[in-house]
Amino acid sequence: MYSTYDIFDELYGLRNIVDRFFTEHPVSTGRYDFPQVNMGEHDDTVEITALVPGVSQDSINLQLVDSSIIIEGEKKIDYREHPYIRKERSFGKFQKSVKLPYGVDHGRIEASLRDGILRIRLYKSEYAKPRKIEIR
Amino acid sequence: MTSDIRKMDGKDKFVLVPSADIYENQNEYVIKADMPGVTRENLEVMIEKNELRIRGKVATENPADLKYAEYRLHNYFRSFTVGDSIDREKIQASLENGVLTLTLPKSEAVKPRRIEIKVA
Repeated sequence: MYSTYDIFDELYGLRNIVDRFFTEHPVSTGRYDFPQVNMGEHDDTVEITALVPGVSQDSINLQLVDSSIIIEGEKKIDYREHPYIRKERSFGKFQKSVKLPYGVDHGRIEASLRDGILRIRLYKSEYAKPRKIEIR
Repeated sequence: MTSDIRKMDGKDKFVLVPSADIYENQNEYVIKADMPGVTRENLEVMIEKNELRIRGKVATENPADLKYAEYRLHNYFRSFTVGDSIDREKIQASLENGVLTLTLPKSEAVKPRRIEIKVA
C-alpha cells in the first residue's frame, strides 16, 4: 500500500510542536535583562561573561563602583530605514550593575570582547583570597 | 519550520533559537540573527528545498563553577522558509560581533516554467 498521505503525519506534526516547546529555547527570556550575565569563580579570580551580540568594543564602558561592576553600552540599530518583516531583536542603551561577591583589586581588571561575548576578569583582593587559619 | 528538529539535530538535546530580524529592500532580503559565542568555523548555513537552515555550534563550555547565571549556552538552530524569488547562488553570510547577517538577493525574474507533456 503506497500513499503520499499518512494518517499519522498530522499526529507527528502535533508531537513536533510539543517537542519543540521543550527543546527549543529562545535565547533571551526577556527584553529587560540585556545583557545577560554569568559569573564564575576561580581561586583568585572572578570571571563575568555577558552576552552582547551586536555591541562593538568602543561602545562598551566598564566601571567598578564599590563592590559592583557596571556594564554600560549601546547596541546600535544595524539596519536602515527598510521595512521589516520580522523584528525580534532589541536595540538601545543599557546599563547593568553586577554585584560582586568579593572585594576585588580595583587596579587590575581585564576585559575582552569576542564573538559577541564580553569577558571580564577581576582579581580578588588579598583580603578576599582563601586563607588558612592557624590553630594554636 | 515543520520538520522534525530531532532528526536534524540528533546530537543536541536542546537548541537555542536565535532572535532574528528580517527586513527587505528592493534588491534583497536581509536576515540578522544574534548568535553570541559562535565563531565562523562553527557556523553552518544550508539551503535545501525551501528551507534555509542556520546552525551554530558554541565552543564555550558552560563552566561548572558558576556562582550566578542568567544564561546558558547551547548550540543554535533556526530554520526559515524561503520562496523561489531568491537567487540562491548569491546568498551571502557574514558574522560580526556575534551577529549573523544573511543577504538573500532577489532573483532577476521569477520565471514561470513550462512543463512539457510528452505524448507516449
